[in-house]
Amino acid sequence: MSLAEPKDLHPLTPVVLHILLTLADGERHGYAIAQEIEETTDGQIRMGPGTLYGSIQRMLTSTLIEETAQRRHPADDDERRRYYRITPLGKRALESELQRLSRVVRLARTKHLLRDPGVA
Amino acid sequence: MSHRSLLEHGYRLGMLIYPPSFRARFGAEMTAFARERLAAARRRSRAAVAREFFALAADIVRSAPEQWIAAVQAEPDVDYPDFSSENHPRDNMDILLQDLRFAIRGLFRRPAFTLVAALTLALGIGANTAIFSVVNALLIRPLPYPNPERMVVIYGVQGTQGQQGVVYQDYVDWRAQNRTFDDMGVFRGQSVNLTGRDTPDRLYGMFVSASFIRLIGATVEQGRMFTDVETEVATKAPVAILSHEAWETRFGSDPAILGKTIILNGQPNTVVGVSRPRIQTPFGTPDAYIPIGYYPNAAGLQRGNRGVGALGTIKSGVTFANALADLRTLAAQQEAAYPTTNKGFGVELTPLKDQIVGSTRTPIFIVFAAVGLVLLIACANVANLQLARGAARHRELSVRAALGAGRGRIAQQLLTESVILSMMGGIAGLLLAVVGTKWLGTVLVANLPIDPGIRVDGLALAFAFVVSVFSGILFGMVPAWKASRTDVQGMLRSRTGAGEHGHARTRNTLVVVQLALSLALLSCAGLLTRSLIELQRVKTGFDTSNLMTMQFRLPAVKYDTPDKIWAMFERTVAEIRAVPGVKSAALVRAFPFTGNGEVQPFAIEGQPPVKPADAPQVQINIITPQYFTTMGIAQLLGRDVAPSDTKDSPPVAVVNNAFATKMWPNESAIGKRIQMIGDPRWWTIVGVVHDTKHFALNEKQLLQAYVPHSQRPLIFTTVALRASSDPLLLSRSIREAIWRVDRDQPVWGVRSMESLLDGAVGSPKLIVRLTVGFAIVALLLGAIGIYGMLSYTMSQRSHEVGIRIALGAESRQVVRMVVGEGMRIVAIGVVFGLLGSFATTRLLRSQLFGVGPTDALTFSIVTAILAGVAMLACFLPARRASRVDPMVALRSD
Repeated sequence: MSLAEPKDLHPLTPVVLHILLTLADGERHGYAIAQEIEETTDGQIRMGPGTLYGSIQRMLTSTLIEETAQRRHPADDDERRRYYRITPLGKRALESELQRLSRVVRLARTKHLLRDPGVA
Repeated sequence: MSHRSLLEHGYRLGMLIYPPSFRARFGAEMTAFARERLAAARRRSRAAVAREFFALAADIVRSAPEQWIAAVQAEPDVDYPDFSSENHPRDNMDILLQDLRFAIRGLFRRPAFTLVAALTLALGIGANTAIFSVVNALLIRPLPYPNPERMVVIYGVQGTQGQQGVVYQDYVDWRAQNRTFDDMGVFRGQSVNLTGRDTPDRLYGMFVSASFIRLIGATVEQGRMFTDVETEVATKAPVAILSHEAWETRFGSDPAILGKTIILNGQPNTVVGVSRPRIQTPFGTPDAYIPIGYYPNAAGLQRGNRGVGALGTIKSGVTFANALADLRTLAAQQEAAYPTTNKGFGVELTPLKDQIVGSTRTPIFIVFAAVGLVLLIACANVANLQLARGAARHRELSVRAALGAGRGRIAQQLLTESVILSMMGGIAGLLLAVVGTKWLGTVLVANLPIDPGIRVDGLALAFAFVVSVFSGILFGMVPAWKASRTDVQGMLRSRTGAGEHGHARTRNTLVVVQLALSLALLSCAGLLTRSLIELQRVKTGFDTSNLMTMQFRLPAVKYDTPDKIWAMFERTVAEIRAVPGVKSAALVRAFPFTGNGEVQPFAIEGQPPVKPADAPQVQINIITPQYFTTMGIAQLLGRDVAPSDTKDSPPVAVVNNAFATKMWPNESAIGKRIQMIGDPRWWTIVGVVHDTKHFALNEKQLLQAYVPHSQRPLIFTTVALRASSDPLLLSRSIREAIWRVDRDQPVWGVRSMESLLDGAVGSPKLIVRLTVGFAIVALLLGAIGIYGMLSYTMSQRSHEVGIRIALGAESRQVVRMVVGEGMRIVAIGVVFGLLGSFATTRLLRSQLFGVGPTDALTFSIVTAILAGVAMLACFLPARRASRVDPMVALRSD
């Protein structure tokens, strides 16, 4: 199964969104992805290996991400460590999802349902 | 196997419930992930490791179904053998459904097998889930307080005297000067008299500092908490906070309770707050909180008196060792500043969790190990049943193999069947677990300071699920593997038992494993039973029949002089003795096995003085005349305390035999004099009585001394009373007798000696009952195992037996042959079982009393029991075989 149109994937699940956000900074291995998400969400999203690799499996199938051939550091060459990076499709899916979310936020602001983050 | 690899292996085993394709792709990465998480948890604490491990298990259980759906939706891939029988399933979903259909149909076709197997598994899984719920509540789930992992109990220590309370004044200094604690608080639980109402009542009061209530996170639903100033000794305010429950039951949910004055220990206190429902402190569930400054024994708050309990929360990021070092530095400074009162005073910390569940940890693990063994035996049993079935089904399987089902396919189908079977067992087991957990909860909570909420929760459900799947895989593996290795050609050629020999060997091995595990469990149960018997045979030193006690405490405000106290006690004893049905009665400061009692250092006249920390210790009790007669404690020498021993006559004491023989091995103790530390008087020994047990049945014999109430009056006392029949029938009239002396005097703690003794062996009794129960289950399963194995073998060999009988073998010989064969396997099982017992029973050492971990008598008895039951199990199929009609047997092939 492969999807040409990023919009077909909307809305992304929180886990998928965060994985894409993390990989937008560069490639990571699985544990590093989970750790980074746990840190950036202040522990709100803490996933176990099953949840993480389940999502990775789905994202690989829909080619949002791909496995990299190269190891980051020759010294870090643990054979169990596989690195993942975002694909162009993944980037487009992330961008359009973020666009969509920011439109939602803008709408919420105009309706005064959400206060400015600077004030809160 | 190390701790690390054990958990990791556990995790890998858990991954077996993912589809193979997913495992092949991500298995190594996921294991590495789990390892890093566990390593991170290990740096925090052991409880964190346990929590992390269960989080990982829950993660597997949560994420597996999605992967299965993905796997069966995906294109068929190489991980699934192509199945090209007449049914031609199109994809993996079809295969799975087909397997399920076959499995369920197969299971229902043999309802007896399915029922026996599922019930066996239900027993194992249910027992494991119930015990796991206890483990979860006590050891995994955090305590119901803020920052439970940083909470510690602070103890004072001196010399070899062990952990005691802390000095209130020391605590005040520590709290102000320490750098490693967020906060500290003190408490002292004690019953208080509630008066000024229709009938006097007794509340369980807790005298506390405001910080103590904050530390345990208790909040109010009405009114307010105490302020720090209100609870300090110098600035105490007459206020009180009621528990929600006491407000409801004792004050009828009075909506205007706030601001009202209640009389506690004769002192008016204003109610300023009502706590939220179900607040439990780690040291009991009080009805009322009262400022520590009102603690009735004012001396308990002075320098040098370790009279209060203390609790603290260590600052985040500070280690346990640093916090302890900090307090020790402060204690050393105090020792230098107050050399007279603080000489040799030290400080110790115990994590709150250890304090609360510490002593139950080992027994719970013993029971957990026992149920684990029961489940293993149950799995071996079901595996054996399946092997027997597999052999009977080999024609069916060989036909399917010939039609093109791959070996992997057949194995997979058998495994599906096993997992379905174990899930059925698991569901039935859950019902068992819910009932069992409820029962265990009520029994265990009685022995714990707080109610940890023992119930089957989400984690326990996940546990039951994982255990069910594992058991299915475990007992399904051997038959599936066997089936996948079956030689198709051979199977089709022979009509009976091709590869039968291999099957028989596997089954015999399984029976040996079962018997060995049963014997190991029986040995543990046997040793625990014997130590319980030893414990119950311990001589208490008194006659326990028709003996009763009840407690009361005089309000210090009303009884403020020794004369008033003594007058009250004298009249009370006289009134009680006059009650019809009372044979004899006396008062005693601390009745045996109630948990009350004091142990003090003492000195002997004429012997060189020793430091208080090294002085011998005596358990001192305060009595009125006739205490020994009432209790049936034998008077060995001299006399009892007498009415003529008054506060103006020379102080006298009666000591026990252990005291007399230890201190004066070669002469009479009568006439010798002893001194209690902190009391300048010399007490002359006037009598020697028999030794008694006081705090616990397994205590080392204490040195004991008894002094007369008249010479050492205290406001707290208990009644010791012997009736001519059931003493509890008298409790109403005894209360009324006391109320005739003082109608405001509450009385509580009415208990018979028998119930106190039950309490003294309570916890071990439960552990022994559980272990024995599980051992009996294991024994029965083992017996069923060998019975099933022999029945099956004999049914396969009826042809051979028929020939033997036709050739003139007598039925006795046939029986002997069959039983002999069975007993050979039993003998091998016994050998391995004894080896296993020697290895495991030493882990029980700390729980045994009066019996060693390799007690020969116990081992012989349990071996005999196992052999006897196994022999019976062999005898039934043997008799059946001996009645084989040779003609029928010969024709049947």
